[in-house]
Amino acid sequence: MENNHYIPKVARIINIKDEVEGARAVKTFRTQFTIDDGFTHICGQCAMLSVLGKGESMISISSSPIETEYLQFSVLKTGRVTSALHDMIEGDMIGIRGPYGNGFPIDKWTGKNLIFIGGGIGLAPIWSVLQTALGKKSDYGNLTLIYGSRTSKDLVFKEELREIKQEMAVHLSVDNEEDGWEEYVGFVPNNLLDKKPSPENAVAITCGPPIMIKFVIKNLQDLGFKDDHIYTTVENKMKCGIGQCGRCNIGLHYVCKDGPVYSWAELKKLPQEY
Amino acid sequence: MRKLNVYQIYAPVKKESHWSYEALDKPESIRLDHLNTIQSPKMIIFPQREVFFEFHNAEGNTPVMKEPASEPSATVIFGVRPCDAVGVTHQDKVFNGDFKDLYYWKRRNQTILVGLACDTPPSPHCFCLSVGGSPHFTAGFDILMTELEDFYYVESFSKKGDTLINLAGDIFSTPKENSKKDKEKAHSDSEKKLKRHIKNLETVPPKLKNMFDSPLWEEESLSCIQCGICTYLCPTCHCFDISDELDSSSPLSGKRVRTWDNCQFPDFTMHSSGHNPRPDRASRLRQRIMHKFNYFVTNYQAYQCTGCGRCIAKCPVGIDIIEVLEKVRDYGK
Repeated sequence: MENNHYIPKVARIINIKDEVEGARAVKTFRTQFTIDDGFTHICGQCAMLSVLGKGESMISISSSPIETEYLQFSVLKTGRVTSALHDMIEGDMIGIRGPYGNGFPIDKWTGKNLIFIGGGIGLAPIWSVLQTALGKKSDYGNLTLIYGSRTSKDLVFKEELREIKQEMAVHLSVDNEEDGWEEYVGFVPNNLLDKKPSPENAVAITCGPPIMIKFVIKNLQDLGFKDDHIYTTVENKMKCGIGQCGRCNIGLHYVCKDGPVYSWAELKKLPQEY
Repeated sequence: MRKLNVYQIYAPVKKESHWSYEALDKPESIRLDHLNTIQSPKMIIFPQREVFFEFHNAEGNTPVMKEPASEPSATVIFGVRPCDAVGVTHQDKVFNGDFKDLYYWKRRNQTILVGLACDTPPSPHCFCLSVGGSPHFTAGFDILMTELEDFYYVESFSKKGDTLINLAGDIFSTPKENSKKDKEKAHSDSEKKLKRHIKNLETVPPKLKNMFDSPLWEEESLSCIQCGICTYLCPTCHCFDISDELDSSSPLSGKRVRTWDNCQFPDFTMHSSGHNPRPDRASRLRQRIMHKFNYFVTNYQAYQCTGCGRCIAKCPVGIDIIEVLEKVRDYGK
């Protein structure tokens, strides 16, 4: 059967990194396809990861398309498939199908200042854009990251955050006071207001818990960002990835193929069902 | 009839309490006095459970994934009611999107739909005329038969239909002079026998666009017990789940299967975090109505409903989609 997109391609896990420990553990997996070249993706797209015998889970691709050696996925341990992924070791094989979704319209962002606003595991879906922008820095204006989590232990990409500080503005936050924490204390939307990025020639890209996204968008609007200059990604339960199984349906859209990336101008027109 | 042996034939069979499509081994058991079958022929083209692939993985080896070896055979579904054929055309639209569903089309391309026009409504809840169909609607059919005095008037609409008629050539004869007129009269007579109608249904889709937050959904869904029978029996509902079935855990072997799923179930949309975008009965009934009479209408220019009446007939708490649509239509008046 040709082009049977339901049969995943086999990929080997070449690297696993512990990002966050504990009840809301996060691990980052780097994978390489075993036989063919796999696929190329655009920033913001997702892929369906298979653990045979457990099932599939839709995960955003957190590596940049300019990274051709591997695909990277940062996975929060939360259900059957993600728990099985967390039990795997380097060298184990998984299935991958995709890529799915529309991705970020980064071609439209040339020359613009990019402001990334993330919360918790929500840094992963926007990490591919951030890495692409860093890799082609001359194509964009100023780059800023505003990122936070409940505690400093819940921050993902801790090492990478230290490294990119040399190249762009990084403003971190934790929800409550911690010994030795020298950056902002409070929620991400408040840190955003504190740092007051200019809406002039700028695009804001945000992802995190739904409640955070809601207040970030409100605060961005208060700072003067236009609705079509605010981008976010929507998460809904998915099975097929091609708009047929029905469960990620929001109005006329299927998030798996028409999303997951939306400008606020687009998203506010959809029913609030995500 | 022997020449037709190359086909797998399904036809309505009378069971104790209901009619259902069954694979036939002898043509003599065909009857054409059937009422609505409990399930539409959707179950044959888009089965409730189907294997996507089998997988095997011995420790340390590369996993192997293999599609099922058996190929679907050429199939005739005989005696199909016009509403159910419309249902198949709606499924065609969904599975022919940006991505073609190869499993569906493998079966669908080999299926010949032979229809039977309804002279009387096969269910007291039939309302096909209100949703753009009719008791003699031809959409989706390769062949449609209309019962006249002592013979069937047979029309073919496709190459597959022509092939079938040619195979069984000697049982057909050229229609008599008046037959076409008789057929047309039979068709218009059958329309008059329909008891249930929704007036001005065309006003419902635009109205639904502004009824997302309406209290109507809460009111109409209070009695729903979320059994999901309405969508399982619907000839147009296509939502599904994909899951793994294990035959052995060591060495690992099993199957990845697709099964029908149901927007009326709470965990249909529930994230693994526990967050649920459709957290209650109201939001799930709303989805059923919005999808069929708003979203699908915009995306495919058709109601995702064929008026077969199964969801009305079988709902254990008496939720009647006609009444819900009338309430939408009259809401705020």
